Amino acid sequence: MTAMAGAIARGEVGGRLWFYANYHCNLRCTYCLTESAPEVTRRELGREQIVERAREGRELGFTALGVTGGEPFVLEYMPELIAALGSELPTIVLSNATVFNDRRLREMEPLADLPVQVQISLDRPDPDDNDAMRGPENFRKVVEAVPKLVERGIGVRIGFEQLEPELTLTADGAFYSPFAPTVRGGELDTDLLVSRTTKPVREPAEMLARIAGSRPAGNDASIGIR
Amino acid sequence: MTNSWAHVRAETVARADASVVALIDAEQAPILARPYYAGEGPPSPITASLAHVPEVLEATLPFVGRILGPTAIDLRAKEIVILRTSALMECRYCVEAHTTVALDSGLSVGEVCALRGEREVEAVFTNRDELALISWVDEVALGRGAAPEDITARAREVMGDPELVEMTLVVAATLMLNRYCSALGLPTSAATLARLAEEGLA
Repeated sequence: MTAMAGAIARGEVGGRLWFYANYHCNLRCTYCLTESAPEVTRRELGREQIVERAREGRELGFTALGVTGGEPFVLEYMPELIAALGSELPTIVLSNATVFNDRRLREMEPLADLPVQVQISLDRPDPDDNDAMRGPENFRKVVEAVPKLVERGIGVRIGFEQLEPELTLTADGAFYSPFAPTVRGGELDTDLLVSRTTKPVREPAEMLARIAGSRPAGNDASIGIR
Repeated sequence: MTNSWAHVRAETVARADASVVALIDAEQAPILARPYYAGEGPPSPITASLAHVPEVLEATLPFVGRILGPTAIDLRAKEIVILRTSALMECRYCVEAHTTVALDSGLSVGEVCALRGEREVEAVFTNRDELALISWVDEVALGRGAAPEDITARAREVMGDPELVEMTLVVAATLMLNRYCSALGLPTSAATLARLAEEGLA
């Protein structure tokens, strides 16, 4: 059993291996942890790199995969990439669901046969409140996108609650959780950086397992999760 | 032993205005780097720069600490090696930092000045072992290829295999730090600068 598989089995680390596919986004949400927006540097992790690391992650004992950004679906290859990842392990891809035109939806249809879910961001039940944070017409676009995905047999969920340590790979290195590679004033926060090395995945996985194994009991405030 | 690199001192006082890389403060310190921020006061610029790559910091600081820190060889001898090497390499940061450490390790102001190239070594140092050590340091730091037989023979007279291995590695580790600190323009701490001024060695 690898160090990571052991840490996952003991509940010290979440079993999902996350990828920051990119940092740019078609939206400009006011609160975005990564300050993602159309003009920011892409900092793309790369399709082949993600698939390669996902396979290694499965061998190390990870039980699921996650893809976030930025908005992953602004990358042309995202439907094919998600299909490839879903063939390895159950996969969640986070999306703002505003880029699903007819062509994109057709490209996503193969995902229906795979253990893949699209997790959609919606911040407020009231359209005006939501749109104030995420941009004009965002609520309407999301609400319209959900049934289109469901009709095609693609799993959809809304909400994001987990705070446990989960190895998260980005173009800038490996981080403690998908909430860790935050950006403020254009500068990447490094307080929850695990390592700059992301290949082989075993290296950051072992470092995260070591961190999680020595973490004091209690909440994540002890390590400065914001 | 000539003082052919007396220009070193002039170079070492020409300090950079700022570090080439951001120095990571305690709030931004990665999880694995945090133990190295636990001491009183701000971390050293070496730590605060290495924190950009925590997996490298984790390997580098224990490595450097083991070689440059206390071992079977006394600290006075090690500081002779470190300060001399740093002066030869014109590393402003290391010369300033290790001038204070050398004083704390028992070297006199005159000895420090000689190691920094401001006085003739042979006019200050009289101990045969230390003079042989300084010759060895000069050769390891500045030489190319194998060391000349006479310098090697002189070093072998005063150092056994363990001492020669360790002192040579102290020079090598110092060379690594000299280039690292100089290339990145690491700033000398205010406390060190104040101490240097107090000792008349600024």
